[in-house]
Order: sequence, then C-alpha cells, then structure tokens
Amino acid sequence: MNHEQIAVIGGGPAGLAAALAASEAGADEIVLIERDRELGGILNQCVHDGFGNLIFGCSLTGPEYAHRFVDQLPQHPPIKVLTDTMVLQLKQDRRLKAVNREGAFEMKPGAVILAMGCRERSRFQVMIPGYRPAGVYTAGAVQRLINMEGLMPGERVVILGSGDIGLIMARRLTLEGAKVLGVFEILPRPGGLTRNVVQCLHDFEIPLYLSHTVTFIHGKKRLQGVSVAPVDHLGKPLQEQERFIPCDTLILSVGLIPENELSRSAGMIIDPSTGGPRVDQDMATSVEGIFAGGNVVLVYDLVDEVTRAARIAGRAAAHYVSGVKRTAGRLILQPGENVAALVPQQLSLPLKAGEKINLYLRVSSEIRDAVVTLLRQGKVIFQKKLRIVRPPEMVHLQIESSLFEDLHDGEEITCRVTAQEVNQN
Amino acid sequence: MSKNVTTLLRELFAEHELEKFALQIEEQEGRIRLSGSVDYWEQVVTAGHLAGGIRGVRSVVNEITAALEPPPPYRAPVGNPTVIGEADVVIIGAGIVGAAIARELSRYQLSVIVLEKEADVACGASKANNGMVHSGIVQEPDSLRSRLNLRGNALFEEVCRELDVPFQRCNLAVNVFKEEELFLLELLKARGEMSGIPVQLVDPTELTALEPALSPEIKGALLAPTTAMTSPYQLTIAYAENAITNGARFYLNTEVTALEQKEGALTGVITTRGSFRTRCCINAAGVYADRIAAMAGPPEFTIHPRKGEFIIFDRESAVEHAAIATGILELARDPYTKGGGTMLTVDGNPEWGPTAVEVCDREDTSVTAEGLNRLLEKFSPLLPGYEARPAIITYFAGVRAATYIEDFHIAPSNYLQGLIHVAGIQSPGLAAAPAIAELVLEILQEEGMVLLEKESFNPCRREPPPFSELPLAEQNRLIREDPRYGHIVCRCEQISEKEIVDALHRPLPTLTLDAVKRRTRVGMGRCQGGFCLPRVLLIISRELGLPLEKVTKSGPGSPLFSRRTKEPLPRKEAISR
Repeated sequence: MNHEQIAVIGGGPAGLAAALAASEAGADEIVLIERDRELGGILNQCVHDGFGNLIFGCSLTGPEYAHRFVDQLPQHPPIKVLTDTMVLQLKQDRRLKAVNREGAFEMKPGAVILAMGCRERSRFQVMIPGYRPAGVYTAGAVQRLINMEGLMPGERVVILGSGDIGLIMARRLTLEGAKVLGVFEILPRPGGLTRNVVQCLHDFEIPLYLSHTVTFIHGKKRLQGVSVAPVDHLGKPLQEQERFIPCDTLILSVGLIPENELSRSAGMIIDPSTGGPRVDQDMATSVEGIFAGGNVVLVYDLVDEVTRAARIAGRAAAHYVSGVKRTAGRLILQPGENVAALVPQQLSLPLKAGEKINLYLRVSSEIRDAVVTLLRQGKVIFQKKLRIVRPPEMVHLQIESSLFEDLHDGEEITCRVTAQEVNQN
Repeated sequence: MSKNVTTLLRELFAEHELEKFALQIEEQEGRIRLSGSVDYWEQVVTAGHLAGGIRGVRSVVNEITAALEPPPPYRAPVGNPTVIGEADVVIIGAGIVGAAIARELSRYQLSVIVLEKEADVACGASKANNGMVHSGIVQEPDSLRSRLNLRGNALFEEVCRELDVPFQRCNLAVNVFKEEELFLLELLKARGEMSGIPVQLVDPTELTALEPALSPEIKGALLAPTTAMTSPYQLTIAYAENAITNGARFYLNTEVTALEQKEGALTGVITTRGSFRTRCCINAAGVYADRIAAMAGPPEFTIHPRKGEFIIFDRESAVEHAAIATGILELARDPYTKGGGTMLTVDGNPEWGPTAVEVCDREDTSVTAEGLNRLLEKFSPLLPGYEARPAIITYFAGVRAATYIEDFHIAPSNYLQGLIHVAGIQSPGLAAAPAIAELVLEILQEEGMVLLEKESFNPCRREPPPFSELPLAEQNRLIREDPRYGHIVCRCEQISEKEIVDALHRPLPTLTLDAVKRRTRVGMGRCQGGFCLPRVLLIISRELGLPLEKVTKSGPGSPLFSRRTKEPLPRKEAISR
C-alpha cells in the first residue's frame, strides 16, 4: 500500500487548484487522480468563454482556463498525476482503492481532498412522465457530444430548464445548425446567470418560456415531440393549456448535484441543503483528514469560485499533514430566513488572528435592497447591504475572524438575508 | 350461455346504448365473440371481462371498438417470401417464454429458430416487470396460472444456477392496515395452503422484528417465504444464449407477417427478412399473440394490453428500505392485479410497482404522472422512514399480455395443425416460464413430435462475475491479462471497458445501446448514463465496426444522433443560404 501524503480525487478545476495549493503550502507528495484521459474535467468540453474573470481578469475558454493550471504542474514536482484512473472506494480511515490500466491499488494518504465535482439531474429525478426514446439528453452530455465527439444529438430541439449549461447549449446548438424551439423553465425566473440569458437566448432570438414545463415525452423509438404546459404558482401544470411541440431532441438542464458517492462511503455528514459534505472554513469535512473543494461541496456559479474554494482545501490539507490542526471546538453556522444553502456550515476553533472567512450562500427568493445579517443569540454581529440578491447568483462574503473572537465552542451563528427596511428597527 | 353475457351487458349499458353500440354476442363451444362499437376503451375491456368471467367460457374474442379512443393505426409489415431457412420448430417471440422454450427444445435433436421483431430479446414485458418469482399465493388455485406458477417456482433456482443468473429468495409480506381486514389474510393463508404453498401469519410485533423498516401501523401480515427475485431480462438473455450454444438460431429485427399452410397444416412462416419452412410454430408473441393466431384462421382470443408502471430507486437508499418484498391487501382493490408492492431488485435497488392500467395501445410503455403519484401514495405508508421521491433514479412501464379469461392460454390452434399458442402470459409469467416451457414440450409430444435427447447438450452457461466485486488480487490478475479491465467506463455501476467489450461479443448479438445496458448495467446507475453515454457509444461503434452516428438506442428508428458536426451542408441548402 502506498502512503502518499495527500491524495486529490478529481483532476478538474477543483482538483488542479487543490493540488497546486497543497504543493505551494509545502506538501511534498501529492497524487492527483483523474478518471478521464486528460486533466481539466468538464472545462475541456466548455469551448465557450467567460471563465477566469475573477482570477485572471480576462475571459478564457474552458480548456484555456484548465491549462493555466495544468501548465503549472511541471513546476511542482511533488504532484504526481494519474489519469484514466478511477477511485472505486474511500473508507473512513482514508484508505482508498483505485484502478487503472496498470492495476488496482490501495493507498492510505495522510489527507484526502475530494474534488469530484457534480453531476446533472436526469429527467427521472424531475419526474417528467412519458416514454423513454432516443433523443433525450442532459445538457452536459450534449456539450461533450458536440464539442468533443463531433456528434449532433438532433435538429429540432426543446430545452427544459434554464440553468447555465442549458442556455449555453441553446446557443451552441443554434451555431451548429439546429433549430432550438424554446427554453422552458418551471420557475418564474431564469435559472442561469443573466449574462447567459442575454448572450445565449436573446442574441439568437430563442424564446424563453418561464413558468412552463414539459409534461410528457412522446415517441417509442426516437423522440417525436414533447407536451408542454404553463404551471401554476406551485409548479403544477395547467393541463387545459397543454400543447404538443414536434421535436426530435429534448435537452435537460434541470440542476446539478454534488457527486458524493465516495464521500458517503467514507461516512461523512452530508448537508441536505447543499448536497455536499458539511465543511468548516478550511473545507475540512466531518471525517478526520478528509477535505473537500469545489462543486463537490456546493455547486458554485463560476469556476473561479471553485478554484478559490479548492485552494483553501489544498492549503488546509497541507497544513493538516504537517501537523497543524484546529482542536478547540467549533462554531455552528445556521442558515436562517431566505438562506437556502450556506458554506461553510461550521467554523473550527481556534480562529487565527486576521483570518479571513469566506462565506458562500444561496438565497431562496429574490430581494432588492437586501441585507445579509449574522446573528448570535438574536443579536446582530455583522451586516452587509446588497443591491439585489437572486437565487441563481451566489452571495460571497468575506468576514474578519475578529468578529467571532468572543464566541465559544458549540455556539450558533445564524445567517439571514432580508429586505433592508425590516432591519431598521 | 350467451344469454348470460347479454344479461350482464344490460347491467353495463342502458338499452339505448346497447342499440347505439350495436353490440353483438356470438357463442360457440365456450368461445365468445363480441363485436360493436362503444365510446371508451374502458367499456371495451369491461365487456370483455364480463364475457370472460362466465363459468365455462374458455376464450373471448373481443372485437368491440372504442370510437373515442381508437388504438394507434396498425401498419402491417411487408413480408418477404424468399425462403431463407428451415427448422423443425419456429418460435415467434424472444421474450422470456420464447427463450425458455427455445432452450428446453435445444436439449433434443431438433432444429430451432426463434424470430424476434425487436433488436434484442426481452424487449416487451420480459424486460419491464418487477423480476419477482412469485410464490403463487394470489393465483386462483385451480387455474393454469396457479399450476405453472407453483411448478415454475420449484424449478427456478436450478434454472438460475445452470444459467448463472441471480436468484434470491426474498420472502414476501402481504400486509393489512385495518383490523377489520385481518380476515383477508386468513383467506389468503387458506388459499395458499390449498395450493401447498408455505405461508405464515405474523402479528405486528413479529413483523417489525423481521423487518424493522415496515410501518408500525400494519395490523398483520402473511409471509410467503418461497417468493424470490431474479433479473427478468438477464434470465431471458441467458436462456437465449444457452439455446444458441446448444444449436438454436435467433433472428433479431425479424417480424412475422404471415403463416403459410397447406390443407390445414402449417408449412412455413413468412417474415420481413424472408420465409422459414417449418411444420411446427410456437406463438409466443406476447401482446401480439392474438394477431399471430389470427394469421392461421378466425381469431381465437383477444389480448387486452394492461400497463404496469414501476419506479426504481437509488441503491444507496436501500438501507432505509425493507429487504423483504411487501404488498398491501385491502377490501377495496383492483380485481385484476394484486396491486403490486415494494421490493429490492437483485441489483439491490428498491423498486415499487406495478400499477395496472388497461390501455388500447399494445406498445403504450409510457409512464404517466398519475401512475407515478399512485405508486408513491400507495406504498409510502408501508415504509414510513423511507424518503422515496429524492431517491428516484428511473421509472418504466411494461404491458401485460392479458386475455379476458385472465389465465394463460397454452394450447394448439383450433384452426391450424402445427401451431401452438403460448398466449395470455401475464403475471406470474416470469415465475412460470420454466414450467411453461415444460408444458409446451409435453404438448409437442402429444402432437406427435419425437424428442430425442442430444448428447452434446450443455445445460450450463457461465457469466464472469462483475469486475468491481472481485478482490484486489484477482482484479490485478485480470488487468495484467487485459488492461481494459482497468478502464472503468460507468462510474455509477463501476463497469469496465473489458466487460462492455465482452458483452458485445457474445453468442447472441448485442446490437444496441439498450442491449449493452441490459447485459452490463452500464448507464443504469444514478446518473442514468449522463457521464458514460458518449464513452459507451465509442466502444460500441469501435467493436461493431459501426460509424458512431449509426449506433441506435433500441434498434431501427431509434438513432441517437442526427449527423456529425462540421459536415458540409447538402449542396442545395448551401446555395439557398
């Protein structure tokens, strides 16, 4: 059995950033394990631009963004890369089992960083009734088929869900000569970033139908069409307004779920609101010595944010293997009013002087002139005003650790996002 | 006897309706023929069941049509009369029944051909059922269904052992939720005992001790420990592969269009691919068995399709689910099904179903919102701690090939010598399959066929164990032998490239994505192929020597792609732009 210091599972943006950060922080043996034939993960199929604005100050394509990291690897001899290698198992004691064309092997690293990313929800998880013909794909699968394998899934396309990949694929399919008949979104607002609604739909005159859903998938062999209908405020289809759209392809962009099979097998606590493991400010999970970074923890809006979170995990893992641990208890961060997801879920003590804590949260409903508040036993300890908060756009806060100085092990801090006037009194 | 039907029909339809619908009833030697035109499909089915429920009636031909719910138009395929083969026995349909019969016949010195209209075996109800090997307690004790269920259950373990197909006794708890319904369990127990089936009544305490996940609201249950689970499509594939190993030939994508006869005796079967000379044909055509029967002469029975919907849940959620199969018994229940239940598949996924919905379209395998909700509402009370909705990974529907007698119809044709019907095979068709094959062999012998054993017959088929379940040392040995074992293609089910390649080169051709899926479980996990689809297609394309854009999901008419990108536009279109 090998005893690498740190094993990073997943060679996408999170894994790359985590491995590099661990190396920069002094770890001297890091193995980066990627199941695909090359590093970069999903970035490799993202031929559109828009990556890197936050970190590099310029707009890169997915492969370009990935290569900013891949190109640094030669300067980091501690990082050993294993591609085409699948981790099959991870145990609570960090023993992991992996397999590649050379063989199956086990290792027990001093620390593990989870960077498996996320996967797409299927039509079944959103319970669309109907047949199971060819021609129903998730947006990410179509992206890979078109951009990497050179295959068109079909010619007359309906897209369900206005998540970012769905919007980007609407544009991509149009550029490749397919007719995108419309994007249907069950919610009264788009699921993706505003820039994508504008650049991918408006600019190509692709209609967006809000408060609509696909109610039936027709076709026994190949898709023949879909039934669509507007929905009421509870998301229930209005049957009397159902109509049939002939099409040969249905593409689903109905949400991403953190990929946590290995996390669960290692016995860590999963937060039902994020779908990822519970983590602290070091991205340490509930299992000793296992860290997590990127979309495996929380599905971020931008890859830049994935990189940032994974860097924290990488650095923390390096410190952990060198013996630096926080052992003075923890503070619990609780999502309150209008907070759908909050990361980290806890702060491990002691806090370091001058430590900056990154808080990521997603709101449940849109509010203009909002205020984010942190409360300790009902008392406000932090507030920040925001012009607008919307569910598709994550809120990022950086907080000084001094704020929590006099808090003790086990104390709770609640985070809420409300309209500004409510907080005047 | 026809008077009885008339009386019953009068209860169903008002006088003016009977006139309006022009309902006609003919009866001859226990065979009833209904005709006319009503408004709704439900009325068609009810009329058929009324006729079929009369004591002494042996078959019902129901030609009543539903004006407001017509079935989809039937496009008769074009036959090709060129003779391309000859066999002692031709079997129509490669579902579990056809495949089981083929395998049993392959024991003897006979040539056997199986014709299947789809691109793979097990494409009808054989792939879309719950995989349960029923104990037989719910069957009418003196029915053919009951007899063959019992015999089949007894044979099943040995068959699965020989063919290397998963088989697990899982026990079944039939539960009641009301004190006043406890007597139903007593009745069911008496019925089971009458058929010689091991059963046991348990009180709530015993039940929750046995299965802690079950609801404390349950007032009592009857256990049927001989209940088992198998993989219905893997068994069909195994039967077919073993039959092929022993000399049978399978023709896929081959649809029967006509039966040839001379002086009342069968001489051949014409298909879309060519015709086959034979003097013996077995009609195991599932939902199309009545159409095949009608190729021989006047219609002999009618199949009314009854859809059953199922939900499959994530394997990870199985820890919160009951390990034994369950069902609910209540006074107000659908008389034509025992109402489904919950179970774990042999792959470890919780599974709920089926529903029972009469449909006019024989290929209506759609799952409706209503069906999904019905299953979730009906079975959630059994497992109060189980969060069903978030654990859903897929759902599907199958169509039962029911007759109006609601029993198997296994008998020689009344009109054509050499044609044997094996029809009306609905639940418990899977459990009964080994016994159905046995019965068909008896019938063939009665019809004068001589069965001489073949010395070379090999009853065993072996399937390599899943790579992911092997110990480390064994995995390493295999990877050294063939590095493709070390390339995991499907992450959810942990299937290696080598296993996919092997599945593509087996005795029975594997031609489609779905066929690969059924043989390897690739894409059957929680992501439903979102990750591995492009990768699996590349392997299929390479191994079958098929361009990627020609790979289909389930055979002709189901292309996965429309074209390659970056192809020059067709000339005309290019100019018009």
